[in-house]
Amino acid sequence: MIEIANLSKNYGRHTAVDGISFEVSKGEIVGFLGPNGAGKTTTLRMLTGFLPPTSGAARIAGHDIFRESLEVRRHIGYMPENVPLYTDMRVKEYLRFRGSLRGLKGSRLRKRLGETLDICGLTHVRRKMIKTLSKGYRQRVGLADALIHEPDLLILDEPTNGLDPNQIRAIRSLIQNLGENHTILLSTHILSEVEMTCNKVVIIDEGKVKAADTPKNLVNSMRRAGRISVELQGPREEIETKLSAVDDVTKVTSQSLQDGWNRYTVFVAPSTDTRLRISALAHETQWPLRSLVRRSGTLEEVFVELTRRD
Amino acid sequence: MRTFRILFFKELKSYFLTPFGWLIMAFAAMMQGLSLSTTLKEYSESAMSENLVFATFQSPIFWFYFLFLFPVLTMRLFSEENRSGTLEGLLTAPVKTWQVVLSKYFAAYLTFILLWIPALIHFRLFTMLNDIPPPFNNGELYGALTIVILMGSLFTAMGCLASCMTSSQIIAGIVCVGILFVHFLLGLIPYFFGDQIAAAPLFHFISSQEHLRSFSRGLVDTRPFVYYLTASGFFIFLTYHLLDYRRWKP
Repeated sequence: MIEIANLSKNYGRHTAVDGISFEVSKGEIVGFLGPNGAGKTTTLRMLTGFLPPTSGAARIAGHDIFRESLEVRRHIGYMPENVPLYTDMRVKEYLRFRGSLRGLKGSRLRKRLGETLDICGLTHVRRKMIKTLSKGYRQRVGLADALIHEPDLLILDEPTNGLDPNQIRAIRSLIQNLGENHTILLSTHILSEVEMTCNKVVIIDEGKVKAADTPKNLVNSMRRAGRISVELQGPREEIETKLSAVDDVTKVTSQSLQDGWNRYTVFVAPSTDTRLRISALAHETQWPLRSLVRRSGTLEEVFVELTRRD
Repeated sequence: MRTFRILFFKELKSYFLTPFGWLIMAFAAMMQGLSLSTTLKEYSESAMSENLVFATFQSPIFWFYFLFLFPVLTMRLFSEENRSGTLEGLLTAPVKTWQVVLSKYFAAYLTFILLWIPALIHFRLFTMLNDIPPPFNNGELYGALTIVILMGSLFTAMGCLASCMTSSQIIAGIVCVGILFVHFLLGLIPYFFGDQIAAAPLFHFISSQEHLRSFSRGLVDTRPFVYYLTASGFFIFLTYHLLDYRRWKP
């Protein structure tokens, strides 16, 4: 659905996006992550045809974003950051305007209006002026605007920015439902959201792609994910040496707990499971074992690891 | 064409479904009435050799309010969309840039044309309400309205350009007044420097004051038509490219 090849954007001497490439196939929900100023919004603006790329190319639904901008724009529903709306229009009036701009008319426009108001939970505020709506409702109007013409691809720039937890949950379940028959590219920096909704993650920083994979693979391949915490009783020195000798173990550190037990942190190679061997070892040597936990990493750790600057 | 129509009516609604357009219309009607009644007072005090339409459009307040209509009508058009960010939504919908520019221009221009309905009514009322022969004829009245509408086409285009330059309405308004004022002063140059200077015919050609004088005497000349229509086209062209600049700047 989206093919990006070496896309770059310079603002004067500042490079906002620096030769990024990735692909999004039909039906995927892709989380586009990065710290503030990483180039997320610039990339999305280039994809939607609002800004031209400095170099590189991208295709959406087979159309070049620069040469066939109008065709591209017909295939996408875009919700810009901060959701700009005509605040002196009424909700339904606004959606009717946006729908007809996208070529809907007559009974189809009426049908889509009803459906979209319904999906986004806007039916009871459809006659209100947009300026009287709260932020959460405005966000929904923005989403309805992006949806109304049933686009193949939804591009959402920080759809849950500035919402309260209940509203975030509502928008998130909305996005999950939409994901059943849309391709979605959404930018955000709320990682729990991505873990729950997206089946692919692209992390960019300083204009470059740092990682592009499923959230699960990213977490598994992370250095820190391979960490096992064991609590044992017994001679500390000996245990450390024996643990270090187990296959796949790279490093062992220990820490004395107040109650006569010691906690050992065992670093292992990524994508391996050493827990069975450790428990076998404890059984063999008759060391009392009370806890054996593999720390599962989180996407947040992946994100921090890839984007921190120290 | 359909997209243009949708955008055009949306813009027109933003004038007339809000108090905005009606306020401007009330202001214009009041100023038109004021210039007519002060002119009538002059007629009652001394003998006048010129017709009523001519004298009304030559009254000192005419240029004062006329030049202020354009910044008020146009300053909002692009700068407001730019400031609030709605331009991004508009230009990522499948619309062409020229459709956006022309729809805004023509909506503002049509609103401007509608502002002259009160003036037309004032003059018509004059003939309807008393039985003395009117001190003007139809040629003079429609000539004056024609040139006003022609000047409006250029001045609206200048306002659109000013509005497209900035995301602040106030600055857009000030720039628009500035452009209009410079244009107005250019027309006055032959007054100050005399007809001996080599460029005098050029300044006569673009002098709105002279156009207004001849048209409100019923002298309809085709040269101002060419001037105003091509110059409006030029300013719309500039506006188009300024808006599209975003698309091709490096």
